[in-house]
This record gives sequence, structure tokens and C-alpha cells, in this order.
Amino acid sequence: MPFKKDFSPYVPRPATLKEKKKLSELVTLFTFELDNGKALAHRPGQFIQLSIFGVGEAPFSVSSPPDPSKQTFELAVRKIGAVTQSLHAMAPGQKVAIRGPYGTSFPVLDFVGKDTLFVAGGLGYIPLRSLLHYQLRHRSEFGRIIVLVGCRNPQERIFTDQIEELTARKDVEVLETVDIPDAAWKGNVGVITTLFPKIPIDPTNTSVAMVGPPIMYRFVLAECRKLGINPNNIFVSLERKMKCGVGKCGHCMINDLNTCMDGPVFRYTDIEAYQEAI
Amino acid sequence: MDAYIVHLERLPALFNAWAKDSALSVPSATPEGFYEFIPWNGEAEIAWDYDLIYNPPKRFVMPAKETLISFDLKDLQAKPVFEAPAQIVFGMHPYDVKAISQLDQLMELGIPDQNYLKRREATVIMALTPQSVAETAFWASVGAEEVQHGFDLYWTKIGPASFLVEVGSKKGEELLHAAAPPTRATVSEKEAARRAKIKVNQFARRKQLLYNWEETPRLLAKNWDSPLWRKNSETCLACGSCNLVCPTCYCFDLVDEVDDKLETGTRSRSWDGCMLTSFALVAGDHNFRPKALDRYRHRYFRKGKYIYDKIGELGCVGCGRCVRACTANIANPLAVFNALWEESTHAF
Repeated sequence: MPFKKDFSPYVPRPATLKEKKKLSELVTLFTFELDNGKALAHRPGQFIQLSIFGVGEAPFSVSSPPDPSKQTFELAVRKIGAVTQSLHAMAPGQKVAIRGPYGTSFPVLDFVGKDTLFVAGGLGYIPLRSLLHYQLRHRSEFGRIIVLVGCRNPQERIFTDQIEELTARKDVEVLETVDIPDAAWKGNVGVITTLFPKIPIDPTNTSVAMVGPPIMYRFVLAECRKLGINPNNIFVSLERKMKCGVGKCGHCMINDLNTCMDGPVFRYTDIEAYQEAI
Repeated sequence: MDAYIVHLERLPALFNAWAKDSALSVPSATPEGFYEFIPWNGEAEIAWDYDLIYNPPKRFVMPAKETLISFDLKDLQAKPVFEAPAQIVFGMHPYDVKAISQLDQLMELGIPDQNYLKRREATVIMALTPQSVAETAFWASVGAEEVQHGFDLYWTKIGPASFLVEVGSKKGEELLHAAAPPTRATVSEKEAARRAKIKVNQFARRKQLLYNWEETPRLLAKNWDSPLWRKNSETCLACGSCNLVCPTCYCFDLVDEVDDKLETGTRSRSWDGCMLTSFALVAGDHNFRPKALDRYRHRYFRKGKYIYDKIGELGCVGCGRCVRACTANIANPLAVFNALWEESTHAF
């Protein structure tokens, strides 16, 4: 075993909050830098454990792409529990503590040379953004980039200016929808699967990356099946209650898989037989 | 395996010698009418024929609450905390030894948990062949009646005042020599110990699985949709008692505590239970196992399949503690596995 006897996987490293940017009423984008001067060195789809000492620890997907030119990394966080309330109350310059990165990532090489269909439901855009921006930085390596974004209502949309920029680009196809429109909404109305008939997809050469609320997966998978997309080329990231991050505490189990180590990113064919997965 | 003979009258001297350097726990009857490991105080009456220690011995290697890190709230520096007091647990039945051996494997698997492993390394386990069997126990039918490893010494009472002691480790052998040197066991004494084990194991087999226990993972794999899960879990109170008393349950929660001045603090782990409603609850109130059925089934799959798939042993050692702890009378692994077996077709 390459592990030292005094190694504890439970010790986090201090990190400083560099920037804060509000994305919606409840969601804010936080930019962090590790105090040890090193990059986080994550891969798209991985998560970290963020500690606010005295309050607790919670898992978050890294939203920024791996970028060797940058020391910082970004987390987009919804204000919903004890840790996230405290995080939202922080100002740049204040410190948190980080463990990780943990878990599996989207296998970037599996997407090379193929079209990519991103299916982002609600906060699912946050982890997918890491892969999406990675692909954009290496744009020529990939085929079409199709991004489907669904939200409950227009107020909950996040990264709106970035999505607007993407929409303006010729080499990215973006389609948005909301479940419940307001008076100002001019776009598509309906759940995310209503976007599928609106865009031609080549099922023989498309890889899918999807993240969204638990209810979304089975319906999107049904659409993919209808199109004839090879289920080997479908990747999902699943949310569970990752607590220890090292496969011990039992909270994030999907049958006998530890989502924190075997996931959160799974190839669909690797988990389709697991009753608790989708 | 080397074996020695120790006579009863030598035990106080041995116990007192051990207790000088280690916290020594021995099985004893409690005033409430249960059996429990209690600290050796020089004169405690050992319950040689106890049937079941009320609380599982996992607390010696994974306490109900254990500090993992300490931190400074000003500079956010955190340090690991390892606590590993020297301790000896005397008189553990083989099924409980087996449960701890499982924890050893699971905690070493993947990223090793040094908090556990260091504590385990400082722990000496002295096994004891049972002389009575709890009403709810079925350890002899799940392959947990004897252990080949996981103990430092293995004690078997072979006469009114004599014990055969098998050596499981060098440390154990040294401890046995802590007082006057013991005598080596003869062939007939070894035979007496073998018979003592056979006798109690045969008695314990009165509670039997209807099939070879190694079939359990396959049995469960075929029975995900069995109506039994719903039927049994209908009366589950989600109290987590079965988790609490289970010698192989090790799921935990992480909790922060800070001092009054908000300057320093600790993060600890404390036992958690997959039967509790909030176990798989995430932000936004989404619960990945919202129904008692989901949680109940998950627990039996862990015991009967998931742990087996990882380490090749059944995650249930048949101690029967959960049977006794469950007020709804649904937590009987033997009854669950046998019912599944009876309703299955056994066609592979």
C-alpha cells in the first residue's frame, strides 16, 4: 500500500475565497484558490468536500474546467443548508477548507472526434460546465457540441450571460427550455425532453453527458434510446450523500457502489443493472 | 498452532499483569441481567458461560464517537488525530472476532482508514469458545462458529478449572508468559478443546439456515423484488436499533464541534444507521431511500451480498443481537434468509 501510516484522508487543506458572483437568487459562483499555491488538479465531473469548520462539510462538483494556466477553481453553490448558508455569507479573502478532488470524471478521450450532447437539468449545468468549457478550449478535437439546458422557471436560470455567449457562437448549438414560463419568457416551454425533436442528432456518432435532478435521467435515457444512441456512449453523473469521500461511511451507496469513488460519473452501461442507480 | 494449558488460579496474576500496561476488559454479568465487557478491576467475576455480550465489541476498534481531526478556526489548519490506547479484550466469542476481522478488511480496503487501523493494532483480542448459546443466535449456520485468525489468544475451557490456550500471534504468546510460564498442552488436552468446540457448535446448530450460507448472495440477487421486503418493513419503526447492535455495521456520520471561544474545534465520526430515515437524504429534501422498504432491503443486501462480494464473507455473523433489539420483531436475518429460500424456485 502506498499510503503512509500517518496519512489521514479526513484532513482538508485551507483555501481562500477569491471572488463571488451571483448567478440567481439562490445560486452563487465562488472562485477559490488553495493556500498551498498548488492547483486543485481535478478532472471534469469530479467533486470536492468543502469544510466550514464548526458548521460542517458538504460535497460540491467543480464547475470550472481543468486549466493548467490557472491556480483557481470554481464552485457554483445553491444556498440551501447549513454549510451553503455560511458559504454564501462569506466575503472574498475569507477561508474555507477543501478535501479532494474525489471520484470519477467524464472520460474526455471518449468524446474526442464525436458529437457531444450535453443534457443539463437545473443545477446539473454546474458539473457539465467543466466538461463543456474543456471541450471549448480544445474545440477542434470535438465534433458538434449540442447543449440542452432545462430549468424550472426563468428566474432559476444560471450562467445566463455565458449561455448567451455560447448561443451566439457558430460552433455550439444551445437550446433552452423552462418548465414554467413567466411573461417575459420567449423561449421553449416544457421539460427538457421537449428539446429533443428540435435538433437533429447523429446517433451513430454522439456521446451524451447528462446531469440533472433524479427524476430527469429515466426520461432523457428514453429519448436517447429512441434516437438509437449507443448506451455505451452515455455518461451520467449521479448525486448522492457523499460524506467521507473515501468509500467508508456508507451514505452514498448505490447498491454496493460507493458513489464517491465508483462515481459520481458513470458510463450508463456500467450502472443500468443497478436497481438503485436511476 | 502452539497451545498451552492455563489453570484458573493463575488468571488473577495474569490479568493484573496485563492491566498494568493495557486497558483490560472482561465479560461479566451486569446488575440489569445482561452480559457486558467491563474494565478489569482486580476482582470482577468473569462470566465464563455468557451467551451474548449485549453491545457489540466494535466499540473497541471504532468507538461510537471518535475524533478524526482537530482544527484551528483562525488559520484553518487541520491536523489528524489518532487515538490508539493499548487495550486487551478478553473472552470474545468467535463470531464477534469474525465481525472485527471483517472491519479490519473493510477499513483497509481502498484508502486505508488509519484511525481504525492504528486503534486495531493497539488492541489485543483473546477469543473464548462459547459455553452457552443465546436464544436468538445462529452463528453456527453462517460459518462464524470458529475463527482461524483475528485473535491473539484463543481460550477454551476444558475442565472445571483449566483452559487450553491456542496462540494466534507472537504478542499473544508473550502476554501468556507475563506471569509464571505456562505449560504446553498435550495431545489429549488439545482433543478435549476440540470436543468442547464441537459440542457447543452442535448445540448452536439448532437454529439453522435451510441452505449453505455461501448461497446467500445468489439468493438475494434473485430476490430484489420479493414481496417479503414490503411485508416485513411495513412495521419498521426506522429506529436504527439493528444497526446500533450489529457487530459489523460501521456506517458513520461526521460532526464538527468548536470550543466556547470559537478558536479551535474537532471533527468526529459517530455511528450512523442506514435504517434511519435521513441516511440517504440530500440537499433539497431529496431522499434516495425514502421508504422503509428501501432501507430494510438495503441493510439485508449489505449483510448478505455487498459485503460478501467485497471480501468473500457473509456480513452477518449470526450473533442474534438485532433479533433481540428489534421491537417490531422484523430484524431476524435467519428468518429473512430462510423465508427467501423457501419462496425461491432454486432454478439457476
